[in-house]
Amino acid sequence: MQNLINKFHEFLPSLIKGTQYTIEITVLGIILSTIFGFVFSQALLSKRKLINRPVRILINVVRGTPLLVQMFYVYFVLPDLGITLGALEAAVLSLSICYGAYHAEIFRAGIMSIPLGQWEAATSLGLKHHQILRRIVLPQAARIILPPLGTSCIILLKDSSLASVITVRELTRSGQLIASTTFENLTVYSMVALIYILLTQLLALLVHSMERKYRLK
Amino acid sequence: MIEIVNLHKYFGQTHVLKGVNLQVNKGDVVVVVGPSGSGKSTLLRCINRLEEVQEGEIRIGGENILSKTADVYRIRCEVGMVFQQFNLFPHMNALHNVTLGPTVTKKMPRRDAEALATELLRKVGLSGREHSFPSELSGGQQQRVAIARALAMEPAVMLFDEATSALDPELVGEVLSVMKQLALEGMTMIVVTHLMGFAREVANHVVFMDDGLIVEDGTPKGIFENPKTDRAAAFFSKIL
Repeated sequence: MQNLINKFHEFLPSLIKGTQYTIEITVLGIILSTIFGFVFSQALLSKRKLINRPVRILINVVRGTPLLVQMFYVYFVLPDLGITLGALEAAVLSLSICYGAYHAEIFRAGIMSIPLGQWEAATSLGLKHHQILRRIVLPQAARIILPPLGTSCIILLKDSSLASVITVRELTRSGQLIASTTFENLTVYSMVALIYILLTQLLALLVHSMERKYRLK
Repeated sequence: MIEIVNLHKYFGQTHVLKGVNLQVNKGDVVVVVGPSGSGKSTLLRCINRLEEVQEGEIRIGGENILSKTADVYRIRCEVGMVFQQFNLFPHMNALHNVTLGPTVTKKMPRRDAEALATELLRKVGLSGREHSFPSELSGGQQQRVAIARALAMEPAVMLFDEATSALDPELVGEVLSVMKQLALEGMTMIVVTHLMGFAREVANHVVFMDDGLIVEDGTPKGIFENPKTDRAAAFFSKIL
């Protein structure tokens, strides 16, 4: 038992360092993917083919390829085109675009679920499109958007582990490095798993409290 | 005050309004009747440009609201609209439903807007329900909030698109009495309804629409008792 506690103390600092990267990637990923998702959804909902078609194609490409391949693409292929990103930036960018595509569909579904009558009533009061979106449609769509968006963000958190493959020393990579030198696979990967559970639970709590805020009276 | 000239509207290939002409004077209560699909609702929706119009003119106080330079947002502030399905905003209480328009589009200070909304809710008989959410109100109450919401923009004309059709029969009266009250106060109103009793009692001008055209235009008495066309006569014989 004492032995286990000692190992725990030995591995924890390095894993915490990795967790900080995981949190950084996840937070940036959630913020950027939500912004991308909202912007993409507005393009998808646009009646202009010049706007909705390219975004539809982008989303289909992103949905149709594995995130890991996208990460390789951003990290290894973009430099050939003159765009060189650090490993962390590449991880954040690929996660943001990939999840932006998923989030676009979640936003689109939520917005489309609001009856047309709500748009018409607000229009007849002289409100402009962005005012209707912000004051009438999004507050109502939020209760439809938040549960799947929350789930998607939790998956994003877990998928931040893919950044380990492009050399980002986030939580999974930190675990791998310790395990490969100490051969303490059971202890190390159990600790890694526990930290992921802790992080996902915190995120789930946050999503729940936001859902409560938008519940209809 | 409102002049509609040769209005044409298409939904894709379907020709829904086929050259509608209508003159509405200040203080008029115009009731639009006719079979479903005749274009009554579409006509109303064109007047605040909820529908795009392909040809014709709609003049409100001399200004052609269909012209490319017309400020559609300002025009909508002058035209209040009440919908069949109420379309209240379910995430806002009654008071907030009414204050939204003035505070957002007219930049009215919140305090003034709330005073106005309280007064309008009193007028439609809903004092004390300011903080009720739409889901806590009956259909008749919701529709009266919707009327107050439209009135809060201080419109020059009010449009009622089958405002009582979605209501339980016993709740129709409370909405009609608010509409009658408005008419008595001199509000210019265009009302699409199937309630001929309301038309007889309140309207001073009735138009009968059929297949995208106004085929009869006159006083309630004249139209109901001496329809000039067979189509109108057949329609009234079924519903009067």
